Amino acid sequence: MMKMTFKSTWLALAAGLVVVGCGGGGADTTPRSKISAVKVFGDSLADVGTFGGVRATVQGTGIQMYPELVAAAFGTTVCNFYVFTGTTFAANPKAGCTDYAIGGGVINHSNPANPLGIPLQLATAGAAGFSATDLLVIDGGGNDAAALVTAYLGATKDGGAALAALLSTLLPPAQVGAALAGGATTTAAIGGAYMQALADKFYASIKANALDKGAQQVLVLNMPGITNTPRFQMVLNSIGAAAGATARAQSEALFKGWISAFNTQLDAKFAGDSRVAVADFYTAFNDQVAMPAQFGLSNASTPACPIKGLGSDGLPTYDFATCTATALSAAPPTGVSDPNWWKGYAFSDGFHPTPYGHQLVYQLISKSLAIKGWL
Amino acid sequence: MKLQAICLAALGLVAAAGAQAQSAGTIIGRLGATNINPKVESGDLSAPSLVHTTIDIKEASQLSGGLTYMVSDNIAIDLPIGLAFKHKVIGTGAIANVGKLADVKSLPITLLGQYRFGAANASLRPFVGAGAVYGRFFGARSTMALTGLTGGTPTTPTTMSMKNAFGAAGQVGLIANLGSRFSAEFSVLKVKLKTTGTLSTGQTIDARLDPVAVHVGVGYSY
Repeated sequence: MMKMTFKSTWLALAAGLVVVGCGGGGADTTPRSKISAVKVFGDSLADVGTFGGVRATVQGTGIQMYPELVAAAFGTTVCNFYVFTGTTFAANPKAGCTDYAIGGGVINHSNPANPLGIPLQLATAGAAGFSATDLLVIDGGGNDAAALVTAYLGATKDGGAALAALLSTLLPPAQVGAALAGGATTTAAIGGAYMQALADKFYASIKANALDKGAQQVLVLNMPGITNTPRFQMVLNSIGAAAGATARAQSEALFKGWISAFNTQLDAKFAGDSRVAVADFYTAFNDQVAMPAQFGLSNASTPACPIKGLGSDGLPTYDFATCTATALSAAPPTGVSDPNWWKGYAFSDGFHPTPYGHQLVYQLISKSLAIKGWL
Repeated sequence: MKLQAICLAALGLVAAAGAQAQSAGTIIGRLGATNINPKVESGDLSAPSLVHTTIDIKEASQLSGGLTYMVSDNIAIDLPIGLAFKHKVIGTGAIANVGKLADVKSLPITLLGQYRFGAANASLRPFVGAGAVYGRFFGARSTMALTGLTGGTPTTPTTMSMKNAFGAAGQVGLIANLGSRFSAEFSVLKVKLKTTGTLSTGQTIDARLDPVAVHVGVGYSY
């Protein structure tokens, strides 16, 4: 008994000695790199309000898209650099906005003077030069891939005219003509060649307009597997219904192969450049769709927003302006009562992420930034 | 470093005329340094997470000391005393190379029974020990990298805690009696200890720490 008292007294002293004055705990919210501005380029995934403040996700106060989350991590904010006037894109009169991304943005735009072209977005920001404390966040290519897939699938209707026209924007027309005339195999292969050329174009644009203009921290999201989206799953399902499961699987593999061709080339181009981090959005998105529960997703196949109608392509249309957090919470699916039901969904409409999907993109970017030693 | 002074004062408190060397009834106060090197076997962070998100916990060194009470000429009770160790928690597996996720402080509160070979005044006394460790973990301070990886921002940072845990310990060591009342001690302590880390975002991670503690110190017999 005496001994026990002796022991516990010393134990208490030992603990006491150390706890005194130690403090600490909590969270250090200072990133490892000092970033004074986050500058964003890309498409609807990164557009925080060009179109009258309506964003390609669920609308609502406090909802943050991934560029806003990245900016917040560095203690800063972003707002849309462009505003859509109804016919064209003008500079946002609000000063200091550094998110140049526009919904519908593409790497390969037919009109180099249209800021829907991500190269022009980069050139516009790059004209003033970049500071050593700028972090550039660039996404792109999803809409380019969608355009290629759409043109390819439409070839049976228009004899390949749209496909040939698109391919010829980046590849020699003779090569395109020969490939399209050569049958299914060469037609499929030319898609890969186009995607490689697209990656080259993306790289050249980032090199000339960002890296050569002083950018020291550049985060590039590679091309996500758009075939995972509900919209393209429906397209693939219609292929399956018309031509069978094998044809569906072949088409999906073909499209994924094209996207991989882009990503492989993008990695190769940026390899060894310490200023650039390429975040593997492609793999992350594939994983999320394949293992939703692992990523905290309750649904990775159905859009959360209600279908509004049918487009000319026979696919459902959605209206982001009315797809608000309040509206979704008030209208859970049949048999569900939890007002937060939509918060675990991956997709808002057939092609775009929910706010949680944006958080997952932010988490992916955080990983790449941390590996670089920037976050 | 105020704490070091407190430690020294604590040792001084027990200063009293006593037996020579390490004979029965002697109390030996010891000052030195300890390196703790966890040999981490990490489980996977629970969902939501990247598949196979694991951690490693890095070694730490700290000023340390201890009190030994000689029950007999050969049997001792040893209570290491020290400042808290500060360990880096880093990402491995799916989050390899992201760097530091947190600092966590550990206080391995340890009580050992030892058998010291040889005579009380032998110049070299090898010893073996066994006992228990209560690993107290506190003061975990997460980094912005952890916050970002788990979807938080500076206004909603992710914090981490680690569960305190009991473990069993085994020890081997050697004491050199340096004459007068001084001795030098070297020991290696292996601890079997498991803990669970919990994030404020809800995920948990089990990790077997099984640290090896290497201590060198100079003792003074009272």
